[in-house]
Amino acid sequence: MTGDSPASVTDEATQSTGAAIGWWGVRTMAEHEFRLRLRAGRWRWLLAAWFVTLLLLTWGLRAALVATGAAERGVDMFGGLMLFMLALAMLVVPALTAQSINGDRERGVLATLQTTLLTPAEIAIGKLVAAWAPTLVFLAVSLPLIVWCLVEGGVSVGRVIGTLIATALLLGALAAIAQCLSAVFARSTTSAVMSYLVVFALSIGTLIAFFIGLMLTTETETVTERIPVWDNGQPQFNEETGQPINVDRWQTAEYEASVQQTEKVWWLLAPNPFAVLADSTSGTVEWERTGFDPLQTIREGVRSARDPDSGWSGVASTEKAVWPYGLAFYLLIGVGALTLTIRRLRTPYGVLPRGVRVA
Amino acid sequence: MEQRAGVEVAGIRRIFGEVIAVDHVDLAAPPGSVTALVGPNGSGKTTLLLVLATLLRPDSGTVWVANHDPVTDPQAVRALTGWMPDSFGTYDTLTAREVLEFAASAYRLRRDRGEQRARELLELIHLADYADLPVHVLSRGQKQRLGLARALVHNPTVLLLDEPAAGLDPRSRIELRGILRGLAADGRAVLVSSHVLAELETMADRVVFVDRGQTVSEQELADLPRSERRPWRMQALDPNSLVDALDRYGIEHADPDASGLEVLLSGDEAAAQLLARLVRDEVRVTTCAPVGSGLEDAYLAMTEDRR
Repeated sequence: MTGDSPASVTDEATQSTGAAIGWWGVRTMAEHEFRLRLRAGRWRWLLAAWFVTLLLLTWGLRAALVATGAAERGVDMFGGLMLFMLALAMLVVPALTAQSINGDRERGVLATLQTTLLTPAEIAIGKLVAAWAPTLVFLAVSLPLIVWCLVEGGVSVGRVIGTLIATALLLGALAAIAQCLSAVFARSTTSAVMSYLVVFALSIGTLIAFFIGLMLTTETETVTERIPVWDNGQPQFNEETGQPINVDRWQTAEYEASVQQTEKVWWLLAPNPFAVLADSTSGTVEWERTGFDPLQTIREGVRSARDPDSGWSGVASTEKAVWPYGLAFYLLIGVGALTLTIRRLRTPYGVLPRGVRVA
Repeated sequence: MEQRAGVEVAGIRRIFGEVIAVDHVDLAAPPGSVTALVGPNGSGKTTLLLVLATLLRPDSGTVWVANHDPVTDPQAVRALTGWMPDSFGTYDTLTAREVLEFAASAYRLRRDRGEQRARELLELIHLADYADLPVHVLSRGQKQRLGLARALVHNPTVLLLDEPAAGLDPRSRIELRGILRGLAADGRAVLVSSHVLAELETMADRVVFVDRGQTVSEQELADLPRSERRPWRMQALDPNSLVDALDRYGIEHADPDASGLEVLLSGDEAAAQLLARLVRDEVRVTTCAPVGSGLEDAYLAMTEDRR
């Protein structure tokens, strides 16, 4: 053997085993997982394809804006780019993360990991960091295009940074959800499908739910209106107040009107990732300018849903923001998903989930 | 406390739904010896090792591994225990060295110590030439050896090996025996499950038989009862002279074939007497050995009622 006596077994570093989570463990796990990911995929091609797709989009947007004669093209280009990038990244994240835990179990490497001194929290957080990091690399690769938008004008650097942070947070929460599904379901195909269903539910399901909710809460009111009648058929109005004058008699008319109450269902839009992104990052821009900023439009849409009385008045219509609710939703879900993942990794197992083999 | 430094299991039971994987197992694997865990497929060996390796909680019974309870203090057990599962995956894109270095970090060894440990172990399992090749080019037996090295990376006091000899070529098996004997000689407790009984006989000091989730017997290998009358295989340079001599002595024997013939003898004493007589009568005997092994006999006796 190696000459070490068993007494010398416990290494200096084992002293920190009592702690549930340590920097060493998270880093070890993240580095390991990142190296595996780096060797497994054709990253250069993926990143190149990502960049070219976004380049074509940005270039196309710019061409369209030039053709319509819009000024300050940067704002519109940036909005389009960020929304498209979020959509694309939401397709990438489940692919990267949805087999994180059960895939390891299927490959027969999870049990030997669980018997090391890495704690469940270190394994889960390390894996999550290693899954999140590539998505940040994808964002970083798009930086040249964002700079292009800056050059076109109208976008502030602060807004760019805010948008990138919001995107990164959304993708991190999504990665935590996908990883949790991979810890909950025994088969990696199941968790992959479930992850894409979650993406669908958040981005399109919330819209559907909002409109269904809107219809369910719509009330019909009976409106009674008094109509002035002039016998000679010549309406007369006070020139200053606009009130009818010299009215001969009043008729009453009753009719049914349906009243939508978006303020009752706006919260269904809050978890929509595009709503969170748009509402949290677009600034107040003069409405009179030409062009079409998709971020601004979505922001106006969700805010006026929450506060319908504010109307479409031009500049940022209301201070009643929707994004804090959305972001809180994602942070809660993300932390919850991570906690559940850690619980699922905790050994020794008492009751085994259905279909799960330990090793 | 001393006797708990190895593995000590008393009356453990583990049920999966309707299936009783481990019913009632008692077992001790003391430090300084190799203990063989023997039993037919589905007898609960792997489940038992999963409990010892801190992965499964027993429904009842007490377990001590390296002076700690794997249920209440799994981290302490992990620091002192090396476990090699019966089937395991490897990180195919990593090199053998990287696999061991990662395992070392996962056991919280400092980086330089991890690197040193990886070098030592690659030498030990004769994979130094393959250290920097990706694991997917390794053969099944080489991966198996890497799995053993992985279990040894943190220099554990207790080793739990589930079918470590599976897929190994004869030379690797002999080397595995040497490695395990060396580990036991260092004062470690080694618990090995295997089906290759001849293998275990030369490797183990103690044997624990389990069947249908229960400990059937637990004893020193030297104390195994040997059945009195058993076949011995004999070979001579001239097979006819051997047959003639046996006929003269009136000893029952089978017809000779290419690898000699079998005679039924009652014990070592009878064999020694027969050999002496043959030598005196100038029959040039080259081989005289009992067929099968004590462990095999015992195993067959333990599991007889299965048929």
